[in-house]
Amino acid sequence: MASSNSLRVEEVAAAWLARRDRDEWTAADQAEFTQWLHASTAHRVAYLRLKSAWEQAHRLRAIGAGAMPGVVPPAGEWRRSPFFERQAATTTSDPATANIDNALDGARPGTRSKASAVDPLGAPTQQSRVAPQRRGLHWTRSVPRALAASVLFAIAVGSGWYFWPQPSVYRTDVGGLQSVPLSDGSQVTLNTASEIRVAVTDTERRVTLARGEAFFEVAKDAKRPFVVSVANKRVIAVGTKFSVRREADNVRVVVTEGRVRVERIGGQQEPAEQLSAGTVARAGDAGTLVQEKPLAEAEEYLSWRTGFLVFRDSTLGEAVAEFNRYNTHQIVVEDPAVAAIHVGGSFRSNNVDAFIRLIEQGLPVRAERSDDRIVLKAT
Amino acid sequence: MDEDLDGWFTREILSHEASLVRYLLRTWPHRDDLHDLRQEAYVRVYEAAGKSRPSSAKSFLFATARNLMTDRVRRERVVSIEARGDLDALNVLVDEISPEQQASAHQQLRRLAEAFDTLPRKCREVVWMRRVEELSQREVACRLGIAEKTVEKHVANGIRLLANSMYGSHPGDEPQAGAADVEIESDHGQQQ
Repeated sequence: MASSNSLRVEEVAAAWLARRDRDEWTAADQAEFTQWLHASTAHRVAYLRLKSAWEQAHRLRAIGAGAMPGVVPPAGEWRRSPFFERQAATTTSDPATANIDNALDGARPGTRSKASAVDPLGAPTQQSRVAPQRRGLHWTRSVPRALAASVLFAIAVGSGWYFWPQPSVYRTDVGGLQSVPLSDGSQVTLNTASEIRVAVTDTERRVTLARGEAFFEVAKDAKRPFVVSVANKRVIAVGTKFSVRREADNVRVVVTEGRVRVERIGGQQEPAEQLSAGTVARAGDAGTLVQEKPLAEAEEYLSWRTGFLVFRDSTLGEAVAEFNRYNTHQIVVEDPAVAAIHVGGSFRSNNVDAFIRLIEQGLPVRAERSDDRIVLKAT
Repeated sequence: MDEDLDGWFTREILSHEASLVRYLLRTWPHRDDLHDLRQEAYVRVYEAAGKSRPSSAKSFLFATARNLMTDRVRRERVVSIEARGDLDALNVLVDEISPEQQASAHQQLRRLAEAFDTLPRKCREVVWMRRVEELSQREVACRLGIAEKTVEKHVANGIRLLANSMYGSHPGDEPQAGAADVEIESDHGQQQ
């Protein structure tokens, strides 16, 4: 299979980089490596790509400057660091970027007095497991950096952001599609015009779907339930794949793997619904409508992840409403008889024109186009 | 194969990976092929640029990707009828697909931090010690109480995962690779 081939090349390229990153690198290694690198352009581009990423990883020092030596900071801590905060305020002006970069790479004289409170050499414990002489060597090399780091650490503690978990916000615009890897190994795919807030801690994984639709591929972790809050509903999973979408009056959940539980937030009067793979459920205030479907059909609800909309015996009104979620150029159907026409097929979600053309060719409908909208009328 | 070309490729081409992957994802219905398509687009661009450097790297990259997909449709007839009828979508202007500007230094750093946070725990520690604390692989092995060979494996794995999330990656791009490693790693080291 072709795709496994490019993955294999990538694996070998990564193995070479890791080997070069070791302490010993012999002439024989070099010869073997050169031979591999020159054997094919595929090798070379894969290697360049990974090498560049690995070199850039050096820059973690700039954002990690607040951490104590010997301590690997927990995931998610930098999102609220002064670096990101200040940048958010000044957006992308280049001098500001340069400033912050300098500030993080070197010490800032003005804040020295505060820094003395945190002495890197006196910093606690974790490092003591390393052999003393090695430790000493390492310190001599990195004392200036450690000092700079401690300065920032002091500022950080002072402004109260460090080690303080904050939800991260991800959003997409109309027509957008974004994949968000979470620190627990789960993956979220955001559909058009959507927004989620994520907070992953040691005890729970919490996502709030503020608007739109998202597909979740949840990494298995029985100790930390994965909870998606949406409107007044909670969707709970352990390790599974499902999507959640906010609709006008209800919440739609599609499960394609494993099981999820849907419950109402703050109310015990309703029993919680257990949903298994192949289920499409709509939960509203009046109750939950559950449809069991063949898995392939349930997955059609998720075809947006590849940029397609699949309709199976929908009405034109429904299809148009779906298209309108993905495009600013809105389609309008005023005539109820036109809206009730049945359509099926798969269409690219961002290609309104192709959809309208097909509709005009295949149905007794004509389109009147203006700058901001397209009106469908009976012919 | 000169250093210049390597530098140009890294700077001008790889920086568009997120847009490229999004383009492929929107246009090509089989996501299993994406890794391969991306790789092949890079190969074609690198080889063509070795002969003569294109004036606009980004347009050239997208044109190459488009040709690649058109070739495949013709050769393999793998695309469903609906998608084929829609092939003119391949001709969307590049800027419509990826209106975003070149990421600022700040955005790159943020992406890096987020990429780093997605690494499996042990792998993340190794990357941190290697790249931030600048311990050698041997020192990292000593600190974590694991074999040097294991450190090397974590480095290799970390490089791939970092590259994927920094440059773009796409949903479903070998999600198991990271998850599986967590299992392997929890065997030794770190008994606090």
